[in-house]
Amino acid sequence: MKEYTAPLARLIDELKHLPGIGQKSAQRIAFYLERAPRDDVQRLAEALLDAKDKIRLCSLCNNLTELDPCEYCSDPRRDPEVICVVETPYNVVSVEKSREFRGHYHVLHGALSPLQGIGPEQLKLRNLIERLNGGTVRELIVATSPTVEGEATAVYLAKLVKPLGVKVSRIAMGIPVGSDLEFADEVTMLRALEGRREM
Amino acid sequence: MPLVETEAIVLRTHRLGEADKIVSLLTRQLGRLRAVAKGALSRRSRFGSALEPLSYIRLWIYDREGRDLQRLGSAEVVESFFEMQKDYRMQVAAQYLAEVTERFLPDREVNERAFRLLMAVLRALKHFGEVNRPLLFFDYWLLRLGGFLPDLSCCMKCRKSFAGQAGFYVESSESLLCSACRSGGSGTQLSAQALALIDEFRSARIEEWLRMKKAPAGSRELRLFLEQVIEAHLERKLVTRRLLAEEG
Ligand SMILES: [Zn+2]
Ligand SMILES: [Zn+2]
Repeated sequence: MKEYTAPLARLIDELKHLPGIGQKSAQRIAFYLERAPRDDVQRLAEALLDAKDKIRLCSLCNNLTELDPCEYCSDPRRDPEVICVVETPYNVVSVEKSREFRGHYHVLHGALSPLQGIGPEQLKLRNLIERLNGGTVRELIVATSPTVEGEATAVYLAKLVKPLGVKVSRIAMGIPVGSDLEFADEVTMLRALEGRREM
Repeated sequence: MPLVETEAIVLRTHRLGEADKIVSLLTRQLGRLRAVAKGALSRRSRFGSALEPLSYIRLWIYDREGRDLQRLGSAEVVESFFEMQKDYRMQVAAQYLAEVTERFLPDREVNERAFRLLMAVLRALKHFGEVNRPLLFFDYWLLRLGGFLPDLSCCMKCRKSFAGQAGFYVESSESLLCSACRSGGSGTQLSAQALALIDEFRSARIEEWLRMKKAPAGSRELRLFLEQVIEAHLERKLVTRRLLAEEG
C-alpha cells in the first residue's frame, strides 16, 4: 500500500479509532478534509473541542449535558416519580422520539457483558440507588436492549430494586413493526407472547 | 464461492459499522472462524436472536478459504441459551466458556470433541443452574483434549503421589507441589477432597455426574486451579475470570 505523508497518515490513524470507521472510511474523510476550506475544518475542530470541554454527565441521571442537572432532570413538567433506565445517552433520544414518555431518565453507560469485562461494578448504578432511596420514585421502566446483555441487566436491576419497594417494568419486546411472523425465531416469539396485552 | 452449511455455537459478536456484525463462531464442520453478518443490527435483520452469545445455530456461510473473514449467508436457531443468561451468574459462566473456547482453539481446525464438550457443558448449565461443576468439567476436558493437563496425581518436583494428601500451587503456576517441596509454607492449597473429585467425573457423562448429588465440596477449589492453568497456558488474563471470581 502507498505510504501517506506523515500528517495525513496521522489524521487517518486518528480517524480509524472512531467507532464504525475502518481504513477506507478514514481515508475518505481525511481526503475530504484535505480538500475542504480551512474555515470548515476549523469549525469542525472547534466543535470537537467545545463538545469535549462543555459536555459532562448529569450528576442525577448520567445523561450527557452542558448544564447539571440536565434538561430532563430539571424540567418541572416531567414526572419525577417514573424513571426510564437506558444503556446509552442515545437511547434517551430513541425513547424521546415516541413523545409518549414524560418521566425522568437514568443512563447506565453500558449493559452487563462479561466478554467485554462489564459487570455490575462497571455500570452507573450507585446514583440510581441513591435516587430510589430518596423515596419519590414509584416506577422504574427498564428500556435496555432486547439482547442477552440487555436482558441480564434488566433482571439484575429488578432484583436490586424490588426490595426498595419500587415497581419495576420492562418495555415490551417481540416482533418488530413491519416484519412478518414467519421470520420470528423461538426467542423472539417467546418474548412477544410474554409481552402480550389484553385488547 | 461455495455456500457451506454447518452447525455452530456463537462465541461473541462485535459491531461493524452502522448495521453489520462480526461473529466469532465455533463451527462443527469448519472449526473456529469469524464471519461478517451483513445487516445484523438493522431493524429488518434476518438473523433474529441467532447471533446472541452461545446460540447453537445452523448457518450457511460463503466460505472463501484463505480469507480471515467469511460472509454469513443466513442462520437459524437450533437451541437457544438466551433465557439462561438472564441470570447474571449464568451469563458470566456461559461467556467464560465462550472466551476460553475462542482463545484456546486454533483457527479453522475441526474439533468435534471440543464442539461436543462445549454443547454438553452449556446444556448442563441450562438444566442444572449450577456453575462450579460444569465449568470444572469443561476446564478439565478442554485441557486434556488439548494435551495441556498437568499431572494432578503427584508432586511435579519429587514425583511423590499425593495419595490422599493436599497439593499446593503458586500464582500463575501450571503444576502442583507436595507439602514438603513447596517453599516455606507458601502457595494455595488444593485439598485432597478436591483432587479426589477427578476420579468421580473422569469416566462419567456430565449430566450423570450432576444428577448424582449436590455440588461436592472441592469443586470450586479445583475449578479455580484449572482456570489458572488455562490462563498460564494462554499467557493472558481472561476478562470473564475476574467477573466469575467476584461472583464467588
Ligand atoms: Zn439528568
Ligand atoms: Zn514433592
